[in-house]
Amino acid sequence: MLSSSLRWKTRVIETHTESREVIPRDDFWPSISSREPLSVDASILNLQRVLDLNPPASSDLAVSASGLTKRFGERTVVDALDLAIPRGSVCGFVGPNGAGKTTTIRMLLGLVQPSAGSGSILGGDLSQPQSYLHKVGALIESPAFYPQLSGKNNLLVLARLGGIDAATIASILDRVGLLQRSTDLYRSYSLGMKQRLGIAAALLAAPELLILDEPTNGLDPAGIVEMRDLIRSLADEGMTVFVSSHLLAEIEHICDRLIMISDGKTVFQGEVAQLRATRGDELVLRPEVAASLASLAAVLRQAGFTVRIEEPSSGPETLVVEAGSDQAAALNRMAMEANITLIHISERARSLEEAFFELTGSHSRDVATTHSLGGVK
Amino acid sequence: MIFNAFRSEWVKLRRTTLVLGVFGGLTVAASLFVVLLFSQAAAVGPGSADLPSLQVLAQPNGLIHGVDRVVVLLGIVAFGVAAFQIASEYSLGTLRQVLVRQPRRRILLAGKYLGVISFVVAAVVFASVVAGGVAVVMAHLRHVPVGAWFGVTGIKDLTTALGELLLAVVGFGTLGLAVGLFLRSAVFAVIAGLAYLIAVESIVGRVLPALNRWLPGQLLLGVGQGGNTTTTFPRALIVSGIYLVGVAVVTAHAFARRDVTA
Repeated sequence: MLSSSLRWKTRVIETHTESREVIPRDDFWPSISSREPLSVDASILNLQRVLDLNPPASSDLAVSASGLTKRFGERTVVDALDLAIPRGSVCGFVGPNGAGKTTTIRMLLGLVQPSAGSGSILGGDLSQPQSYLHKVGALIESPAFYPQLSGKNNLLVLARLGGIDAATIASILDRVGLLQRSTDLYRSYSLGMKQRLGIAAALLAAPELLILDEPTNGLDPAGIVEMRDLIRSLADEGMTVFVSSHLLAEIEHICDRLIMISDGKTVFQGEVAQLRATRGDELVLRPEVAASLASLAAVLRQAGFTVRIEEPSSGPETLVVEAGSDQAAALNRMAMEANITLIHISERARSLEEAFFELTGSHSRDVATTHSLGGVK
Repeated sequence: MIFNAFRSEWVKLRRTTLVLGVFGGLTVAASLFVVLLFSQAAAVGPGSADLPSLQVLAQPNGLIHGVDRVVVLLGIVAFGVAAFQIASEYSLGTLRQVLVRQPRRRILLAGKYLGVISFVVAAVVFASVVAGGVAVVMAHLRHVPVGAWFGVTGIKDLTTALGELLLAVVGFGTLGLAVGLFLRSAVFAVIAGLAYLIAVESIVGRVLPALNRWLPGQLLLGVGQGGNTTTTFPRALIVSGIYLVGVAVVTAHAFARRDVTA
């Protein structure tokens, strides 16, 4: 079932006309000192300042990295990235295509050597992957297995390599729902089954840290729900999960922490709730006469509000104002003073995707938004 | 840990298609060669280098006639299997999974190498045993006495020839592993390697015959044949050994250092 909660969270409020002063921008968003509309950079700086107030203690971190950098020739793919992932958390890792997510994950797994920086994973030094990888499970990009081997034998290859008891294979295959097909050749598996086998391989070593790169790729809606439940249950068992995804809605559902990167740099790191709390809500306005939309926008801009005109996929254009519900009356009054009658005012919460686009300065759809598969609940 | 990597590699090597293809293919080829050798051989006289007579085949070293001629075939098989096994880890993308479970790359490479080499050696030994049985049957059909084959001299000649053959197989397998690792494409590695061994060395050897003594494929051929007109066995063994140690060191270093982006 598609979840409307993953779309704009809209709450219709009544319009009213009592007179109220427009609250100055500083008061409305007290953490921001500038009266100017937030630029992306200012937003990032502000967020980081706010969210760094309570960083996790280093002893509580499953993953910590400082100044992690990777250069391929002249191109810097990951640029001085700092990571802090607390033990037992489910941490999302998002960024546009080419932001450096996969390269970062490969550095954590010892597949790619950092050009600079240091780090620690489960107490082991990042430069010594053998010191921690026996406690790590990973699904890196798309699942990759030997097509001529069965699912079971593919896991046996990895189990023998890691000195893992082969008797655990059956229970893990059962956990991901592949036990019945375990003797079938991998090449006969559907995309979803391949993804499940990838998860099974990641769980093989009973890891303390699970690193998943796009784990819901290829899964049908029911599979996505199962994957989400699986990740949550693993976290409940005390496992730390670091999950990269371009499905922001999935991240929003699964994760309690978030790391956003863009152009190889961290643009946000902290709890999802912190991100939501830091971002203000919005009011959606619609005038009775559509032609007066631009006039209304001009009036509100002049009053110091940040506004934009949105054209929904269906229905007339609306004006979106960065303001909370307590501003509704003031906005309505200003519209009336400009001889514009509003027929709709509603409040909607900022979603993760909005925060993402604002922080990364990206408006491309490299990162899928709520209306993709991620909307399944 | 090398043993873990070795056992892991064997899960892949023991798959039915590969076992039937390599063990079966080599066995059929060797047996067919023996059948043709005995059925086409003249009864008496010295015969030719390519086709000895039945009289020659009855000698203590009669069982190893023809072994010289299968060195290239076995070398190609060893090269191809080794190149495919390592290069397919890159082309399938499985190397990243494998390296998470065994991050000590040199150990992983050593285990894979031992797995592949043991597989090819086992295939050669199996094919040799079956071909030996076929030779006994063919000798009986052509009324060739086989008593000398199983005397002290005969057994010694046979084990020496097989030992030399296996050394060459190990050499070709090592080259295959190195080429597969550097080219990272199973198909391209096999084609490029075979084109070099079969075509390039042949052309170079004809244009510049003096170079034959230094070409790796020719040297391994010399090892497998226990020495030939190009080089003596000790020289072939030493020079090819130096080559292979160099190749192994460079390959292991590259494997350990190179970023895995596949």
